Amino acid sequence: MSLGVVRSQAIGTSIERRGTRARLRGDTHFAADLNIAGVVTAVVLRSDRPHALIREFDPAAAKSTPGYLGVFTWRDIPGRNRFGIINKDQELLVERKVRCVGDPVALVVAETEEAAQRALSKIRVVYEDLPAVFDPEEALTDAAPRIHEKGNLLGRRVVRRGSPEEALKHSDVVVERTYTTSFVEHAYLEPDAGLAYIDHNDILVVHASTQNPHYDQKDVADLLGLPEDRVRIIQEATGGGFGSKLDLNVQGFVGLAAFLVQRPVRMVYSREEAFLATAKRHPLKIRYKSGANRDGRLTAVDVTIIGDTGAYASYGLAVTSRAAVHATGPYEVPNVSVEAIFAYTNNPMAGAMRGFGVPQMAFAHESQMDLLAAELGLSPLEIRRRNALRIGSQTATGQYLTASVGIGATLDAVASRWEEARVEKQSTRAFVRRGVGIASMIYGIGNTGMQNPSTAQVELGRDGFVTLYSGAADIGQGSSTVLVQIAAEALGLKPDAIRSVIADTAHTTSAGATSASRQTYISGNAVLDAATKLHNVILTEAAMMLKADRGDLELRDGSVFLRSDPGKGVSFKDIAERASRTGLPLKWQGYFDPDTTPLDPETGQGRPYATYAFATHVAEVEVDSLSGEVRVLKVTAAHDVGRAINPLNVQGQIYSGVAMGLGLALMEEFHPGVTESLKDYHIATAADMPAVIPIIVEDPEPTGPFGAKGVGEPALIPTAPAIANAVADALSARVYNLPMNLERVLKAGISVRSAEKEKSCQGY
Amino acid sequence: MRTFEYLKPTSLKEALELLERYGEKAKLVAGGTDVMVLWKKRAISPEYLISLRNVPELNFVAYDGGLKIGAATPLRTIELSPEIREHFPVITDAVSNLGSVQVRNSGTMGGNICNAAPSADSAPPMLVLGAKVAISGPDGERSVPITEFFRGPSKTVVGPREIVTHFSVPRPQPNTGAAYWKHTRRKAMDLPILGVACLISFQDDMKTCSAASIALGVAAPTPMRAYKAEAFLAGKIIDEATLDEAGAIAASEGSPRTTIRGSAWYRTEMIRVLVKRTGMMCRDRAKGAAGR
Repeated sequence: MSLGVVRSQAIGTSIERRGTRARLRGDTHFAADLNIAGVVTAVVLRSDRPHALIREFDPAAAKSTPGYLGVFTWRDIPGRNRFGIINKDQELLVERKVRCVGDPVALVVAETEEAAQRALSKIRVVYEDLPAVFDPEEALTDAAPRIHEKGNLLGRRVVRRGSPEEALKHSDVVVERTYTTSFVEHAYLEPDAGLAYIDHNDILVVHASTQNPHYDQKDVADLLGLPEDRVRIIQEATGGGFGSKLDLNVQGFVGLAAFLVQRPVRMVYSREEAFLATAKRHPLKIRYKSGANRDGRLTAVDVTIIGDTGAYASYGLAVTSRAAVHATGPYEVPNVSVEAIFAYTNNPMAGAMRGFGVPQMAFAHESQMDLLAAELGLSPLEIRRRNALRIGSQTATGQYLTASVGIGATLDAVASRWEEARVEKQSTRAFVRRGVGIASMIYGIGNTGMQNPSTAQVELGRDGFVTLYSGAADIGQGSSTVLVQIAAEALGLKPDAIRSVIADTAHTTSAGATSASRQTYISGNAVLDAATKLHNVILTEAAMMLKADRGDLELRDGSVFLRSDPGKGVSFKDIAERASRTGLPLKWQGYFDPDTTPLDPETGQGRPYATYAFATHVAEVEVDSLSGEVRVLKVTAAHDVGRAINPLNVQGQIYSGVAMGLGLALMEEFHPGVTESLKDYHIATAADMPAVIPIIVEDPEPTGPFGAKGVGEPALIPTAPAIANAVADALSARVYNLPMNLERVLKAGISVRSAEKEKSCQGY
Repeated sequence: MRTFEYLKPTSLKEALELLERYGEKAKLVAGGTDVMVLWKKRAISPEYLISLRNVPELNFVAYDGGLKIGAATPLRTIELSPEIREHFPVITDAVSNLGSVQVRNSGTMGGNICNAAPSADSAPPMLVLGAKVAISGPDGERSVPITEFFRGPSKTVVGPREIVTHFSVPRPQPNTGAAYWKHTRRKAMDLPILGVACLISFQDDMKTCSAASIALGVAAPTPMRAYKAEAFLAGKIIDEATLDEAGAIAASEGSPRTTIRGSAWYRTEMIRVLVKRTGMMCRDRAKGAAGR
């Protein structure tokens, strides 16, 4: 930055996250807390069949329920009954048939939730069951029942480079394995909720827990047949999303209900409904073949990925592409063949979840790296060092990396802990085995090979205060704080001197989705662009008012001072007052769209992302070889974030990524219709958490705001593979399926235990 | 709104009278950690909830060599009782890892036992300790050995007009150690995949088993005793090999099911492993107690 700014030191400072105190005091209003006069409740009648035609629908008995206001079906939808973030293949209320358990059949509105539930229970639906399919490979066969008219193939992504078949033939070692992962529930703290009403300007206002207000606005408007500017989405404080709140969950229902009954309508999912009706992480089946030469360098990979997107696409196509593009991991691989095929099934919908398929792929490519290392007699750290991407490397899509390639630095950062842990790993009891694992990752920031711009405005008000307007939904990860820090740095202000207006479609323009770890890099740049424009206007005005040379001016704490005569200056307030008299605009728009190119449909070659984050985790575990229990003792996590705008926030992301990664590794598996709530679906508790040692590596990204990239998803990605590699180290036997639950770990360990018994190794 | 009338008797007599008056329309509730879950799931819709929270006769811990625990005593009180921790650590094992602190502040041992889930953590310790369940009804008080208390999942011998008042645990034999192991998928806030309680009394050599008792949770439709494994241990020197064998016998006595919490084969395997582990803990604890 060549701004004439005295560094306010807003960057690289762990200022308190916006909203923290209110949350701690319980003062924060979440969407479920909203209550306005005359509000009524909507509930959804959902299918209990995975695939069935609706033969009869009889709501007559519901109408006599006290407090009943209406039962609505697809026929009552005034606009287009289709939505979906990429493919418009979802019906807000199904028209002819249900495609999964939980599909919405009717919307019931009543004075109270109790009345709505009672009315709902009186609706009679007669289904005609259809054959259903729950396996994606089966779904792609000719004999499979057809779930959507266009067929059961969601999409395919190929990445091809060099001559992989030839290269594998001539490789010194080749390892081939098949890996599987499970459906995983996001299990955000706050189940989905929303409230809608029609305001005095006849605008439909929807308050919601969401990651993507501007997308919500468009799909809700289309559903209702309204122009977009007749719908306003306000993001309320959001208690986590992890990708699931990118979908339209309650927004369409409360919008439709408010529109039809002309009363304020609220809707709050129970935990059970959030489990039943929202997206899951895609289960992937990954066949992975890698080759390497004696020098330890990868020669080729050949990967086939089968994905189950369930009944609807949601973000499935994005996961297809991202999984394929990331299949090689953070390594130089000259010859690549990747094919990802995603199919519809009658399972619950799978969509975006922290990492978009990369956590699953990292489990496969990092297991492969350890298997190759063993074949080659190299240490797992060494094989990663020999193959790590560096400046000048080409990725699997043929993109040259020119800056901020911190994978080597993250390997260096964990190296000493890696070595120590391997020495320390003695166990006190014979049947408890210690293991150490390492895993790395690459993650492209932003959407894959497509435009995904962000906009923002920064305004100097007449009162001299600066306000930031951003459409970026802060879902607890802290983007609002980071964006303010960026604006503060650009304007020589302290962050707490900046007001912010966030994620309200009436007052902010689109920042794109809070997904793909993109808000710091992309929206951060948009904010920086806007703030820089305002900065220049302030300088010009101040130069005139002070009759000084621009080069002699600096911005500091809301005033512009002369460097040559620091006693002389003019305040932002004076500048704003003068500007308002002269009609000079003081609200400036910023824009940023990362420099990407679309991927070639045949070869997958192109520039899918403008920048990449890198990370390496070392996991230390204790495995009870008699029970299959795994205790993760410590995770050392090094992340190249480019520049940590708010280091404590980065650390927070790393802690949460480890917690979520531990669940993915060891215990999280969603079984449709069985794991109904947190009682049966296990996420890690504080008692399961290891010690986490976050290490921030800063290899600045020249195109990033003050060098920053992103960390939201990267924090999670290497955790499960590091744990998997540690378990394999402990047991001398590998688990190829996530989660590595008790049964799987025990089975893997049984062969080893028999061998131990021979050596009369006793224990209990 | 679905509603119920919440009744708050302050004596056992009053509670029994209310139960008599409202019969089928009433449901007893202590901590509510099971009852309210059922109510929310609409599995039950009583007109009256009779709270046992304010009945002093049901809320106490009394130690005089033997032990009495009132049925409405919060699990947290039991967990924090120094006498129980010292003399009956097998009970502390079970109640200190049940739910969360908040759940234990509310939930009671009577509730845990009377809910009669195969996974009730407090059942296996009570089974190995040879506890008796005191039950009051319109016709007075009766006492039922806990081995005869469970009749099936969610079924007990308690009649519709009766209230469980307390549990009596006899004074253990000298040279006795007992332990409970709760096996879970994660380290807190979980129901057991399997629960194993073991109690071993030793002869004065502190090696030979004079009597053993083994109880399993989630290994059958009700918490159960592994009598064959117990009989096998009697008179044997307690070491790893003996306990290995006892574990294998106990595993053959259980009839676990495959559920979302665990596969049948895995549960069976864990009976084997955990009977041995709890057995070894019994030996250590008996020695520790003898050393005091």
